[in-house]
Amino acid sequence: MTNNTNGQTAIQAHNMNVYYGSFRAVENINLNVAPRQITALIGPSGCGKSTVLRSFNRMNDLIPSARVEGEVLYHGANIYAPDVDPVEIRRRIGMVFQKPNPFPKSIYDNVAWGAKINGYKGDMDELVESSLRQAALWDEVKDKLDQSGFSLSGGQQQRLCIARTLAVKPDIILMDEPTSALDPVATLKIEDLIQILKQDYTIIIVTHNMQQAARASDFTAFFNMNEERAGYLVEFNKTEDLFTNPKNELTERYITGRFG
Amino acid sequence: MNTTRNTQFTPNLDARHRRGFIWRILFMAALMTALVVLVALMFSIANDSFGYVVVINKIDPERLALNVINERLLTMPNTQSSADDTALAESITSDPNGIGFFGSAAYQQNRDALKPVAVDGITPDRETAVSQEYPLTRPLYLYTTGDILAQNQAANVFLNYLITHANEATEAAGYLPASEADLAQAQQNWLQANPTLPIPPGTWPAINPDGIDGRLTISGSSTLYPLTEQMLAQLAEAGFRAEVSNENAGSTAGLAAFCRGEADIAAASRPIQSDEIELCRENGRFPQEYPIAADALTIVANPALAFLDNVSQAELAQIFAEAETWQEINPAWPAAPIHRYIPGADSGTLDFFAQQVIQQELAALPTDDLVRILAANISVGRGRALEREQRFYQDKLVFDNPTAWNEACSQPKGARPSGCTAPPRTQAEIYDLVLQEVVQPDVVETFPLYDTLLKGAAIQHQMAAKYPNGSLQFRSWLTKDFITDPQSSTPEAAGVRTAILGSLWVIAITILFSFPVGVGAAVYLEEYAADNKLNRILQTNINNLAGVPSIIYGMLGLAIFVRALEMITSGALFGLVDSTASANGRTILSAGFTLGLLILPLIIINAQEAIRAVPTSLRQASLALGATQWQTTWHHVLPAALPGILTGAILAVSRALGETAPLVIIGASTFIVVDPSGPFSKFTTLPIQIYQWTARPQAEFRNIAAAAIIVLLVLLLALNATAVYLRNKYSTRM
Repeated sequence: MTNNTNGQTAIQAHNMNVYYGSFRAVENINLNVAPRQITALIGPSGCGKSTVLRSFNRMNDLIPSARVEGEVLYHGANIYAPDVDPVEIRRRIGMVFQKPNPFPKSIYDNVAWGAKINGYKGDMDELVESSLRQAALWDEVKDKLDQSGFSLSGGQQQRLCIARTLAVKPDIILMDEPTSALDPVATLKIEDLIQILKQDYTIIIVTHNMQQAARASDFTAFFNMNEERAGYLVEFNKTEDLFTNPKNELTERYITGRFG
Repeated sequence: MNTTRNTQFTPNLDARHRRGFIWRILFMAALMTALVVLVALMFSIANDSFGYVVVINKIDPERLALNVINERLLTMPNTQSSADDTALAESITSDPNGIGFFGSAAYQQNRDALKPVAVDGITPDRETAVSQEYPLTRPLYLYTTGDILAQNQAANVFLNYLITHANEATEAAGYLPASEADLAQAQQNWLQANPTLPIPPGTWPAINPDGIDGRLTISGSSTLYPLTEQMLAQLAEAGFRAEVSNENAGSTAGLAAFCRGEADIAAASRPIQSDEIELCRENGRFPQEYPIAADALTIVANPALAFLDNVSQAELAQIFAEAETWQEINPAWPAAPIHRYIPGADSGTLDFFAQQVIQQELAALPTDDLVRILAANISVGRGRALEREQRFYQDKLVFDNPTAWNEACSQPKGARPSGCTAPPRTQAEIYDLVLQEVVQPDVVETFPLYDTLLKGAAIQHQMAAKYPNGSLQFRSWLTKDFITDPQSSTPEAAGVRTAILGSLWVIAITILFSFPVGVGAAVYLEEYAADNKLNRILQTNINNLAGVPSIIYGMLGLAIFVRALEMITSGALFGLVDSTASANGRTILSAGFTLGLLILPLIIINAQEAIRAVPTSLRQASLALGATQWQTTWHHVLPAALPGILTGAILAVSRALGETAPLVIIGASTFIVVDPSGPFSKFTTLPIQIYQWTARPQAEFRNIAAAAIIVLLVLLLALNATAVYLRNKYSTRM
């Protein structure tokens, strides 16, 4: 239940517990994420899927009271080990947020900035173009690269944020409900984009939308919370199997819409 | 069902609307109050900065200019002067190139041998004098006071008779009649002195002199003497019984006797002068002017000068004050020299000619004349000091002797007088010097703008009576000179340059110190500091410091910067002590640091607010790309917070610019005329200057304090505008 089928691992949570102060938000998570696959995290509100996602690139460090126990193994090393610099982890494990949050800069600078501060030495124009092409945004913005990132529509802004993440060449992209603020057309575009990106990147996506998980992911992890409101992993399997043949009764009730 | 609901809800809604409306009115009233306060503030400042002033000059500048012109007229080549009109007439008669001028009476006596010259095409006669067409017509005056007329019936009746009958008698005596305007003025003055006469307005009461007795003393002009004598003779025939003494003493002596209280009426062939008015005032006499006849200054020439029938006033000025030969004026005229015969230096006639024809104001006089006026009116010591400050001529000395000058100028740079190297004074600068040193205008009374605008006419009347020799002028205390002049102990000469420079220096140090420190502290507290007890105590302290009275900061500054760190703040440590200032620790640097400490909490709190207002999503976006905390802060948080930080800084700096109390404590100079030369100079600031001026007893200091407040406000607005401009320029949000 805790292992994906092909045995390869991009990132792995091992007995992971996350606390906010004295409150345990997620409990004893064991999860193996397969490389170059899309893994969806689903579950009812408050079950800790976002917390788990943010633990993968140490974004929880920004919350002063947050604390992680257990291990998150990336290339076999625990990213919470004392000698690990979270800045390096975050460059390799990028993140796209729920609401599009471009920088108050030009479209070009939005993409180029991350690369620049990470000491990118190559041709910046080329990097910006290829990142925007990968994010399927190039054709829409190639004539207005010097305009503000805010001048784009919501869906375009979210793709700009994806392009920005791609520009620092990460291994893994974490997406925290990336389409929840978008209309259906923009949502579909992002989903199509994710399908293309999976050829080069490992993608972990938190979603509230079960159709989206069923449509767009290869693996699905279903979380629920226990009596102490701590999130735990109920079932993890190939998306196909989880939706057609759930092993756990909770999973079945959730995906058929009987709770959650 | 529906109806029930509506009856339940509708009144409720109305009440809510009403309540909202009341609040809206209250908020509007609050805004109106603020507006009214602002307008009242502006008005009260403007009220003292502008308005009427009464200025009394120690020496009349017109008199100074007149003396110079008289001097020039008298020293022209081929010019003879004489106090005796008959002698002048004889000289002109016997000289084929002779030309001159005197009063019309003298011309009438010699009219057969002389040729009158028309001026601007007009010959002097009765008609042109009454209509005042002839440009060289001058009134002849009697002077008395309202009090004398009220008390001395003989004087009152004499004047009444003179006003009634003078014009009939004048021509016989060789005078011209007074102009209608002059006569109307004389009548009006007399009527004012006799307010109780039962006559309809607009009519003139001729009083019957029969049986009037008492005593009457007249003294004055020899020009007018024949007229007064004739009038007294006519009066005696009409039954006037008063005991009369009529003295032919000359205008100046007559007026002096009148002002000393020795004569009831003074006769004068010229208007009374300001020093005479002052003398009268000292003796409680306020002279009234009665123009009762006119004299036409007549230009006369030898009949041999056939070409000279008519001259313009400009040609007249050339004839008597510039040209040597006739040809210089008009090429058609002969090349023979002009021989001038004019009245003497003490003559009212010469003054009148100079005033009327040459018409040169003091400000327009050439440098040489102005320097001569200075030399005649100030001490050599003072002149030498002025000359060492700045020379009058590039190539010659006026007051100093060359040996002493060269000695003073051979001293090393810094010790030698500024006059050694500075370019000589310009004509305008010398004119200013003459005003300051010789004319010495003194503001004796000031009025606020409100009174000036609404009671202008009443003020004009009152002041004309109270200060007959003063001039009422509209004065703006805020002038270019006020901004560029240093402090002075006379309000008319005081300026705010030193204070403006002091304020700018202090505020520059304040900004340089408090802005980086304040923003740095805010960044640390918001972005780095852990949420622990120590940092919470720090934060609380900063919040409380913002409310500490500024005078306490002054005491802190005195103890720390002025006393404890004197070695640093005085510049002694760097060997930079300003020897002329000996400011100890009371320097611009101390003041800047003290004000910096004062506004530091404000800057920190405002910057914290601005940094806190930057959305977390921006920080997360940056961090998720692998940016460090510092890169996130520098590239995203600070630029996004900058408008807010600058807004807070503007408010804080505005407060520092207006602070007085802490600077008083740390020892800002209240009187300083030397511009600050650097952070280790003594200084004063605008608020200190304003505070010091408002504490002075003289009313004029209140006016310049108000003007200085305007300067302070403008300075404040300028600094704020600069900050707003910078904010908009550097924080253009994409």
